Amino acid sequence: MGKDLAERRGLETDVYQPAEDSQLLADAACDRLETEDLVLEVGTGSGYVADRIATEVGARVVAADVNPYATRNARDRGLEAVQADLVSPFRADTFDAVAFNPPYLPTDPDHEWDDWMERALSGGEDGRAVIDPFLETVSRVLAPGGVVLLLVSSLTGVDAVVERAGEEGFSAVAVADESFPFETLTVLELVR
Amino acid sequence: MNESLLEILCCPLDKDDLELEDAEYDDDEIISGSLVCTGCGESYPIEDGIPNLLPPDMREQSPA
Repeated sequence: MGKDLAERRGLETDVYQPAEDSQLLADAACDRLETEDLVLEVGTGSGYVADRIATEVGARVVAADVNPYATRNARDRGLEAVQADLVSPFRADTFDAVAFNPPYLPTDPDHEWDDWMERALSGGEDGRAVIDPFLETVSRVLAPGGVVLLLVSSLTGVDAVVERAGEEGFSAVAVADESFPFETLTVLELVR
Repeated sequence: MNESLLEILCCPLDKDDLELEDAEYDDDEIISGSLVCTGCGESYPIEDGIPNLLPPDMREQSPA
């Protein structure tokens, strides 16, 4: 990430392909999760992160996305796929971990495209148009002791996300980060 | 989808349980059918093995 949306637009139009942010989230998840965990990946895109958790950790992973092309990709990888709006169709007190690499790039409303790639990248004017509703709803589906692994960029503002998570009853710890020329990526672990 | 997925899914609107209807199987996997909410009665399609549990108002507004 970190490129202008217009640059990325030529690369792929239907499903966000794994990039540095996907790898950082997958590495952090594989380090921290355990075989017996039941895991949900929200916004699975290509299914890369979910696939790595399933393969390397051996955990059961449900791969969810709003985008039907993404859920098809995930299913083609052999993952359990569900077309869903964030965590809305999942039962309460269910998941030991929820991983999410959200659309987070702050985007000028005059320069958005109404296609799947824009939906995968754009976080609205403040970059948090999808992160905020996720933080408001994710608590319901976490099992006791369950954790959220959320990828955040310096472009979105890590402090603002930590503060928002705090308002929803989470404390946040940065468990991984990596710097690039235009942004620093951080994986936050949120616990209640 | 596997039938065991039903144990972790619910209606995205009212969070009630879902009931499987008109299921067609390929071996153990449910390939098509409907998931019907036992509360509000809303029906969610399963197509090519993938349940579509988007709220009804989001099913229509997908970009092209």
